[in-house]
Amino acid sequence: MRNYLRYALRETLTNLWRNRMMTIAAVLTVAVSLSLVGSALLLRQSAAQASAQWQLGTRVTVWMAPTATSGEISSVHTQLRQLPIVKSCVFQSQYKDYLQSKSILPASEWTLLKPGDVPSSFICTPTVPNDAFTIQATFQHEPGVYMVTAPEQQIRQMNHTIRIVQVVFIVLAIVLMVSATVLILNTIRMAIFSRRREVSVMKLVGATNWFIRIPYITEGFVQGLLGSAVAMGAVWALKTWYPLHNEFSIGSSALWGTNIVVLLVGVLVGSVGSGIAIRRFLDV
Amino acid sequence: MILFENVSKTYKNGTPALSHVSVNIEKGEFVFLVGASGSGKTTFLRLLLREEFPDQGRILEAGRDIASLPKWRVPYLRRNIGCVFQDFRLLPNKTVTENVAFALEVIGRPASTVASQVPQILELVGLGEKGHRLPHELSGGEQQRVAVARAFVNRPLILLADEPTGNLDPTNSESIMALLERINRTGTTVVMATHDQNMVNRMRRRVIELDHGEVVRDQVRGVYGVPEGVL
Ligand SMILES: Nc1ncnc2c1ncn2[C@@H]1O[C@H](COP(=O)(O)OP(=O)(O)OP(=O)(O)O)[C@@H](O)[C@H]1O
Ligand SMILES: [Mg+2]
Repeated sequence: MRNYLRYALRETLTNLWRNRMMTIAAVLTVAVSLSLVGSALLLRQSAAQASAQWQLGTRVTVWMAPTATSGEISSVHTQLRQLPIVKSCVFQSQYKDYLQSKSILPASEWTLLKPGDVPSSFICTPTVPNDAFTIQATFQHEPGVYMVTAPEQQIRQMNHTIRIVQVVFIVLAIVLMVSATVLILNTIRMAIFSRRREVSVMKLVGATNWFIRIPYITEGFVQGLLGSAVAMGAVWALKTWYPLHNEFSIGSSALWGTNIVVLLVGVLVGSVGSGIAIRRFLDV
Repeated sequence: MILFENVSKTYKNGTPALSHVSVNIEKGEFVFLVGASGSGKTTFLRLLLREEFPDQGRILEAGRDIASLPKWRVPYLRRNIGCVFQDFRLLPNKTVTENVAFALEVIGRPASTVASQVPQILELVGLGEKGHRLPHELSGGEQQRVAVARAFVNRPLILLADEPTGNLDPTNSESIMALLERINRTGTTVVMATHDQNMVNRMRRRVIELDHGEVVRDQVRGVYGVPEGVL
């Protein structure tokens, strides 16, 4: 057994070295393909993270017109209180808003502002984040309401963009993965071809099929593994050198998860490539 | 040891190679397989290795129907059969010793077995001094002796030789024949396909003659051609 391991390892390394140009091409293709997969996964995770955080803090703000009468304000208030999709509401009086605008506006402009100019508002939390839109639609045209704002729109737009980027990455990655498989298949075909004398002698003297096959399977496996190692490095570098800020930043567990996926896919690509090569060219 | 029962084989392209061959070869026999080119000698040997399947009939080796062997058992069948060919089939980038050792290594024999068996068998074929040479540094006769050593190093029950002297001059053919006889005396069954008339005539061993895939003669102490007065 130990002899065989040594034999298989030696054969694998010799084959890799003999076809080193092809090996490098195959490994790089796997690496680029898996880097795309890895980046797509990271992007997706950070987008999900950001959306979740935004949704947690989703506030729908119902801005009353500065001229709204107190009757209109209390009517809106009761309606908000009665609506089951609204969890809670806080009323910001004109005066409170006026004070708050002090911290936003430059002093020269704020001094021109009178409490009567600023609108009062209701800051509401919907029961379910998705209801933010319904609340917006319901109160937009109530008398005395100036406008209703919700961050939902923003989230949707971002998710839409990210989904497009993701699809592009994944399609590219699949195309590259297919080329990687073909490249690996080809290196192994060349290795088998350059060893055809050995293989025919092995068959003749009664070497088992697995004995003959394993070095070639290992070869594909190693190529996949090397490719995913490079890709894992790229994913890690992406996260380290382009750290995403605030709500986009993802934890190291997400990075690990991504790298495990990258590793598994790399090994899969290698195994499929060598599997096909063996079926086609090493008919024992 | 080897039993053909009404065996027929037609290749996929329609070439009939063997038809209704029935032959029984006992353990320890030495058999010449003769016949014109294309008469089916190589096909006979390939069937024994299960490189081809018969279309009809049964082949038993050591009492077992080889058609019933599952695919994964075929390598184990071949471990009991040594093979020698006209073109030697040595690995050009391995030394004599490595070539012979390879046959043991790839069937998983431990290094200690390899280390003890290889020099012994090289001594037997008279190449004890030339183990470090590469095949191209040897004469044809010496290369064929390496091939015999490789075929016999695992002590198979059967040794198949397909025109082993086909590429050799008479002197080298002699020494290969002597070697095969010696192997036969250890109890190994030897089946040798050949066109070498003188050899067959001199050896006076069993001769099976094929003609267009049919056994036309099976003679215990035969000669190459049909002896006068027999027909
Ligand atoms: N792989 C093959 N595919 C198709 N036909 C084959 C194949 N091998 C041999 N044949 C045909 O089968 C017949 C028997 O061939 P075989 O090789 O057994 O003859 P042989 O007696 O060994 O001849 P030789 O003395 O020239 O080596 C021939 O007609 C040959 O053309
Ligand atoms: Mg032949």
